[in-house]
Amino acid sequence: MTPKNYLYEMVRSELTWAVGDEHVQTNEADKLGHSIDYYWVPECWHDRGNKPTPPDFVVHPGSAQEVAEVLKIANTHNIPVIPWGGGSGSQGGALPIYGGIVLDMKRMNKVLEIDPVSMTVTVEVGINTQHLEWQVEKAGYSTMHFPASIACATLGGFIAHRGTGVLSTKYGKIEDMIMSLEVVTPTGEIINTLPVPRHASGPALTELYLGSEGTLGVVTKATMKIHPIPESRKFHAFLFKTMHDAMAAGSKIMTSRLRPCVIRLYDETETAKLVKRVLGIDRKGAYLVFGFDGPEKIVDLELEEACKICRGQDTEDLGTEAGQTWWDHRYKFFYPPFMFHLPQAFGTLDTVATFSNIEKVYWAMKNVVEKNFPQATFIGHFSHWYDWGCMLYARFIIDEPPKDANEAIALYNRIWDMAIRAAIKEGGVINEHHGVGLKLGRIMRDLYGPAFKVLEAVKKTLDPNNIMNPGKMGFPGKGV
Amino acid sequence: MHIDQHLDVIHACRFCFMCRHLDPVANVSFREADTPRGRALIADRIHMDAANLQNTDFVETLYRSALSAANRFHCVSHYDETGLALAARRDIVEAGFAPDRVKALAKTLEKATFTVKGRGKLLYFGNRPELYPGAAVITGGDPGKALEVLGFAAASKKVLAKFKKAVAASACKKLVVAEPSAYDFLRDRLDGVTVVHCAEQLLASPVKAGRSRKAVYLESDFLKNYDGNPTAPRELLKKAGYTLLPFGTNDEESYAVGEGAVVFDALNPDLCEKLCGRVYALAADAGKALFVTASQTVKDALTRYNPSFNVVTLEEAILA
Repeated sequence: MTPKNYLYEMVRSELTWAVGDEHVQTNEADKLGHSIDYYWVPECWHDRGNKPTPPDFVVHPGSAQEVAEVLKIANTHNIPVIPWGGGSGSQGGALPIYGGIVLDMKRMNKVLEIDPVSMTVTVEVGINTQHLEWQVEKAGYSTMHFPASIACATLGGFIAHRGTGVLSTKYGKIEDMIMSLEVVTPTGEIINTLPVPRHASGPALTELYLGSEGTLGVVTKATMKIHPIPESRKFHAFLFKTMHDAMAAGSKIMTSRLRPCVIRLYDETETAKLVKRVLGIDRKGAYLVFGFDGPEKIVDLELEEACKICRGQDTEDLGTEAGQTWWDHRYKFFYPPFMFHLPQAFGTLDTVATFSNIEKVYWAMKNVVEKNFPQATFIGHFSHWYDWGCMLYARFIIDEPPKDANEAIALYNRIWDMAIRAAIKEGGVINEHHGVGLKLGRIMRDLYGPAFKVLEAVKKTLDPNNIMNPGKMGFPGKGV
Repeated sequence: MHIDQHLDVIHACRFCFMCRHLDPVANVSFREADTPRGRALIADRIHMDAANLQNTDFVETLYRSALSAANRFHCVSHYDETGLALAARRDIVEAGFAPDRVKALAKTLEKATFTVKGRGKLLYFGNRPELYPGAAVITGGDPGKALEVLGFAAASKKVLAKFKKAVAASACKKLVVAEPSAYDFLRDRLDGVTVVHCAEQLLASPVKAGRSRKAVYLESDFLKNYDGNPTAPRELLKKAGYTLLPFGTNDEESYAVGEGAVVFDALNPDLCEKLCGRVYALAADAGKALFVTASQTVKDALTRYNPSFNVVTLEEAILA
């Protein structure tokens, strides 16, 4: 669709009627901003002088009713609709790969109600999560949702791809924080999921939309848990001789049913590279940090129990200061120049598995990357720990990828293909908290097997014209 | 091109989302193009192909920036995205593609002339000379900062030269500046003359503690985010009897309604009104407290879009 085509003007007229002239952008500056998200591929494409596919329209709805109107227009003309929050997703989930309408949700950013009795907040999901946290803190509470992308992303973005924050080990991922949702279905009906997440009233409809990445509808409102500001939050760090030893300690902390708010374990390579560079802790070994929060007496008790587990092994006790330093600088890892950046090729091969499998997954990925791509460095840390296992945040970095964009992307995709399939073989999954998007959709059938037909049937039923974010999560595209 | 001197910023900011929550314009326009990332992407496109200087959508976006340095101040690595935007504006102007309204505004600013009245060691540049008895007073408009932020570097230098000439003629060795943008502009550019902000000067003078009052001090973008966040304005208000109330939800955002862009309201009145609207909405939490700003420009904008908004300048607060 181009401005020279009169159909373009017909659609624009309908969109401006639905949301107002001011809230439909068609200028090149906005289209450029929406043609690139945090996914390496469009970044590389731009870096090498190419132009990533822009949307035809950027629409900023102000209400669920306006979202519904836009979706009805899109169905009439069979135009793709791509929900966009902060645009900071790393999987290409928000890219308008077939053009169409980018539905930028940031105008829907109001905190509607804070319920101090039930400890919940109801909010429009276009809100920036740092803004949400600030507003909740002003009322005396916290969402306890502290992802590295807190300043970048919207709440809707986290809901779309089942995002998580630093304190997930105690407070959960976004899917544990959400109570209920308001959703606009692809055909334009506004629906609400049940008001509570625990019930025996049929399947959990909220779960259907958590992680659906804008392919099954547009989430417009959410009620989520909030928490009291903890009286105390303390950290402690240890250096283990090997990652395996540290993993044993970390898993014992979790299976002992202590309740840390965070555990993070860096492998030997990442300890030597990133922990040294960002935190200034220059040691050989595997750096393990954990923290507890809550009433101070309980924090002290649990912290001591966790430290006992670590001290039972051959470790160097780095103390509370090295732990606190990590907490104070936890976001620094993601700022330039500490974060990897073009022209480097880099990707976060994150996955999750049980404690029985997680090290096998780590070694399978590491071996496949290092054996097949000797130009790549493989590093990893384990964050987001559960009663039963933990998440692996592995990364590959190539300092000098091919200069040709197509060659560089082909190499990049091959690493993902091999590393993720190796993880799946050992009990891992495609992803833990960044989502699937455009990047990993092609592997969904391998992961799900015959069960993927269930997801496809849901998609076909809810979105008969396939307008919602086509070509993502392994669902059909629109053709080129 | 001038943006070539900021390649580190282009490369750091074009794919970085970490400060988007602090861009005052993006927070009211909700547009990706209005974020530091959006502007860096545009600058990158211009760097790749100078023909993009003619792209009116890109040019307009670069002139929509409020040039708040809150982003730079809170960036872990302090990448100077406002410096990049200023460099891009210079490139636009020098290539002859500045929008007509920008050119018209620049023409007006170029006409500034400066007059000094009185003699003495101290020279005052502001609207409240009664606070500085015995000081000479220089008047005449913006000393070149506005032209500089619009991208008219050569014209800015000419106006500054006129200002310098007037200062030299006064033989004063110390200049007290009230407007933060002018202070930021002049503080390192007047040889042989010490430049201080009015808050520093007043704090060093006897200040009568007035009756106990509550006030919200709206932080100046220039003083806080460009000029090292001096404590003088807050100390001065406390010394004068004001109890300062917190404002907004955090101390990172700039609520200075486009102060960093100096002539933001003249250039983008619709956006300025939205920035003011944000302040009005948050002001409800402050009850009937007096609002105090270091900037006459900020006061003018806030009262233009809501004449009943209770705001005074720092100097007026001391006089009250």
